[in-house]
Amino acid sequence: MAAPRSHAAGPGRGGGAAVPPGEPGPANAAAEQKGRSAGERRKECVHRGTGGPEETNRTTSLATDEDASRNCEMYLPAYCSPSAMEISLDSEEDMYRDAEEIEREKILLGSKTSSSEYKPSVAPEMDIMEYCRKEWRGNTPVAKRMRKGYEAVAQKFASIRRVRGDNYCALRATLFQALSQATQLPTWLQSEDFTKLPENLLSKYDWIKQWQLKQKLGRKMGEISDEIKEYLMLLRKKWKYISEIKGPIEKQEACDKLFKNEEEEYSLYEALKFLMLNTAIELYNDDKNGRRVPVFSWLLFARDTSSNPCQLMHNHLNQIGHSGGLEQVEMFLLAYALQYTIQVYRLYKYGTDEFITLYPNDPEEDWPVVTLITEDDRHYNIPVRMCQETKL
Amino acid sequence: MSYVPGQPVTAVVQRIEIHKLRQGDNLILGFSIGGGIDQDPTQNPFSEDKTDKGIYVTRVTEGGPAEVAGLQIGDKIMQVNGWDMTMVTHDQARKRLTKRNEEVVRLLVTRQSLQKAVQQSMLS
Repeated sequence: MAAPRSHAAGPGRGGGAAVPPGEPGPANAAAEQKGRSAGERRKECVHRGTGGPEETNRTTSLATDEDASRNCEMYLPAYCSPSAMEISLDSEEDMYRDAEEIEREKILLGSKTSSSEYKPSVAPEMDIMEYCRKEWRGNTPVAKRMRKGYEAVAQKFASIRRVRGDNYCALRATLFQALSQATQLPTWLQSEDFTKLPENLLSKYDWIKQWQLKQKLGRKMGEISDEIKEYLMLLRKKWKYISEIKGPIEKQEACDKLFKNEEEEYSLYEALKFLMLNTAIELYNDDKNGRRVPVFSWLLFARDTSSNPCQLMHNHLNQIGHSGGLEQVEMFLLAYALQYTIQVYRLYKYGTDEFITLYPNDPEEDWPVVTLITEDDRHYNIPVRMCQETKL
Repeated sequence: MSYVPGQPVTAVVQRIEIHKLRQGDNLILGFSIGGGIDQDPTQNPFSEDKTDKGIYVTRVTEGGPAEVAGLQIGDKIMQVNGWDMTMVTHDQARKRLTKRNEEVVRLLVTRQSLQKAVQQSMLS
């Protein structure tokens, strides 16, 4: 892991403070002592930084074709890659955790390795304030801000569902929410040409051959085209099936069944990534041809690492789910690709006008809204508006 | 059982008298409630009308005071000791049912089976 580390220690935090890698600044809110085990905390801090020394290294490494992926692996900071995380009881960490934490983590790791394969990707509901109390003890300013943030969420939502914290979590949370409330297929999914998308794009843009399929870097055009087509068809099939379920409980159960950490689930994320690429290409071309594009599109392509769709693919989309997650500007891209408005409670921004951020900022009227919660713009959880139930 | 705002509500109700059970410091009733004007009514599996934000019985503890008194899962609570429960928040409902100085709560509930039974008998 190449990321810079910062320390948090001192009175009032209770025990040691193991700090997951993260960039300096407000995003380091996640790094504060929260009262949960280091193992858990690390799992939830996933994404690469925005800006910083790593970024400039990346521009020089933008070779073409074969080199691209290898170089990207080398230069992109790999926060919390799963293998590093599971068995990371190295001495550096021990410096920042107290005995209690270490014991807790050992127990957690023990149970995790046996059952992590079979855990659902979206945890069952839990009362929001209970969750908040567990996660944020202590009286640091950050803890207080988080608690206030959760209280604000609790006025609209009774429960929270934790989302598996790998680099797919933004896609996971968004898709889960979208499917949970889906009552019809979105128009873009209904189009006849939908499944022809991969072959159409590949015939126009040769560089799409470098698309990273789930496990391997694609090589042959036919191979990529077929696989992505399969993923798109799966997305349509699942969306159609779930949207046709009438009862809300049955619909929720169907979603839970889909998101159980198996191949199907990950195929859907690949489909979403491809749709994001498609949308990016459209926006890029529109802009080049003098047509109006939303502001985020300029920001998307203003980055050194993605000045065009090809670079976007190499350095960002190909990395999602592996060494990085979605940056904020990519949340816009996802929203546009799905034609959904993603409303996010950003808890570390409580007290500012960014506390509730909409992607896109000016939502289209007919785009459905899904809501997510994030403490740090890195990991996303799902608020659920279930019927509160009280035992008397 | 839907209603039109502004129109009087008519319902067939059942009286349920629950004698709370003392468990240590607490007085328990032995059932759970869902619903409330601050809740999302579409998630309520018991209501016929998915815009109904009333208070519903979601669970009844076997052998508990509520079951003994005849309360059933799916019952909609209309009144508690004379207080209206059709337009309250979830928390207000909870408070009205769990007053420390009240050992007995008298509920007016309505249930779909009651409605249907009356409708049947009116037809014959």
